[in-house]
Amino acid sequence: MSGAAASAKPDYSTYPTLDRKARRAAAAALLAMEGGGAPASAADLARIEAFYRMEARLLDEEFYDRWYDLLADDLFYWMPLRENRFRRDNRPSLSADNMAMFDETKADIAVRLGRLASNLVWTEDPPTRHVYLISNVEAFETGTTGEYEVHSAFVQYRNRSEHDEAQLVGRRRDLLRMVGDRIEVAGRLILFPQSVLLTKNLSAFF
Amino acid sequence: MSINVSGLVDWQRGHIDRRIFWDPAIYEQELERVFARSWLFVAHESQIEEPGAFVTTYMAQDNVIVARASDRSIKVFLNSCPHRGNRVCFADSGQGRQFTCNYHGWAFGLDGALKRMPKMALYKATPGFRMEDWGLKRARVESYKGLVFATFDEEAPSLGDWLGDFRWYLDAVLDVEEGGTEFLPGGATRSVMNCNWKFPADNFVGDIYHALWTHLGGSEPTLGRHGGVIVENERSWQVSVNGHGWEFNDSFLGNAATMGDREMLRYMKSRQEAITARLGEFRAKMWGSVASANIFPNFSFLPGYFTFRTFQPKGPTKTEIHAWTLVPKNMPDDIKDRFRRGSMRTFSPSGLLEMDDGENWEHSTAANAGFVTRNQRLCYAMAPEGELDDDSLPGTVTLGQLSDANQRLFYKKWAEMMNAETWQDIPLEKPAAPAEAAE
Ligand code: FES
Ligand SMILES: [Fe+2]
Repeated sequence: MSGAAASAKPDYSTYPTLDRKARRAAAAALLAMEGGGAPASAADLARIEAFYRMEARLLDEEFYDRWYDLLADDLFYWMPLRENRFRRDNRPSLSADNMAMFDETKADIAVRLGRLASNLVWTEDPPTRHVYLISNVEAFETGTTGEYEVHSAFVQYRNRSEHDEAQLVGRRRDLLRMVGDRIEVAGRLILFPQSVLLTKNLSAFF
Repeated sequence: MSINVSGLVDWQRGHIDRRIFWDPAIYEQELERVFARSWLFVAHESQIEEPGAFVTTYMAQDNVIVARASDRSIKVFLNSCPHRGNRVCFADSGQGRQFTCNYHGWAFGLDGALKRMPKMALYKATPGFRMEDWGLKRARVESYKGLVFATFDEEAPSLGDWLGDFRWYLDAVLDVEEGGTEFLPGGATRSVMNCNWKFPADNFVGDIYHALWTHLGGSEPTLGRHGGVIVENERSWQVSVNGHGWEFNDSFLGNAATMGDREMLRYMKSRQEAITARLGEFRAKMWGSVASANIFPNFSFLPGYFTFRTFQPKGPTKTEIHAWTLVPKNMPDDIKDRFRRGSMRTFSPSGLLEMDDGENWEHSTAANAGFVTRNQRLCYAMAPEGELDDDSLPGTVTLGQLSDANQRLFYKKWAEMMNAETWQDIPLEKPAAPAEAAE
């Protein structure tokens, strides 16, 4: 993933990915998260909150390779589109088959990091400055030992150039997996409240 | 008093005055003379398949409802109540029998006609009040192969005359397979850019040149260092009809290749023979090639990614992008899903390529805050090859996709419409029934 490796194009087709069935299943699991499980222990909640603080700092400071290592191989990372619909509308409001802002596997994230590492992305040079705040963390046990359903809220502030800024505020639902003393992100649903993205792009990770 | 823009646009030499991207008075004149006269894209028929289905969208800054009426015809009308002016429908899409205004409860049918209101007797007792005078203002509606266009201008020529021979090229994305096309589900991907709408429109009508530099980083991960995209003036063209334009080469899947999905490319190749039989060799090669296009004034698309988008004007320095992905209806479901992810991952606000574009257009616009800056002109002069002087291809054809030819013709049409008092002063190219060209 480093800049030095960029001259030899990595074969992204060998990177961990999910087929469509697996992505649909992962989306369904994230949509079903309603905080119904037993609350995680205070110790586990503290571990998870510390993990989120570290994750946010790695992103803010562009330690993308280290952030990438926090992602599980079966990651599904999803920011669906939000439509304005009447309450009486009986279509499912979010579906894995719809257009989305992010609909990613770990291999897809690797491609994004490869783009940034190319040093050919003029819109990130000079760099954008990010501050990523995570709060409202609630963690619940799931049917699987070591896996936690975690809800949180975020503010992703960014500023570049002089007056160019955006505050991207939203909610996350994560499937976190504790593996030994590590925590991995296995699923992430990013619920972003804007139906029209009120800025020019989503050049950021959530 | 209207502004004469002849001194601002020298389309022959390609000198464009920067004030056309900044001046509020010019913008207001655009709303009246360009947007309110043009046929504007409002929906794909697949978005409103059943009677009662509707979407809301914009025609320039006019919000409209696009609905499938009970007789299956498509109606387009202003989304603003004639009573006190409130917005009538607040959903982006949905299904219903009528639209009821939140303010006093006036209810309108799927054709926009006023049907009823609370305490209707009060109006019945009002001398001279007639229900038929107070419906939602209706636009003219016409379709071309699934794409629905509308205009409020009674004098405008037919959609067929407006598109003219550009239709022959459009078939290279709209008529590649039996059964027509559809938009993939989930509504429009929408985002805001602080730029004048003409910068993205002129980018799509004929600026492949920027891709070689702007998108180096975006194409690096899939295509290797320096993109690997081959863009030359050999075997490539720009075509323009009535200000609509398409720049392209004959690579068949050059654009699609940057999405880095081998299954998708295998599928496209498997269709090449059948598409060639349907469209002829020349147009078949346009299907997914290195290309971009714009239907005047602000409806653009990219062959290969099949992102279709409107650049909705929101003021002289603000534009909203609404984007959808178009595929042949009979494409296998799994391949459609590959295009859904592929177009989203390249051309959406999180797209590896689209993320490169916005800052360019925003700063090309913002720089004009400077008085001295905006009194300079911009260079649209690149013209390495001459116009193709034979009748095998319809429209104004320039050899080589690397040139500013289409952009100059876009601004020629823009200036014609800005200056014209009436449609008499807006020349349209006569459609010629083209031979199966350039086989
Ligand atoms: S404004 Fe719509 S009913 Fe009064
Ligand atoms: Fe671009």
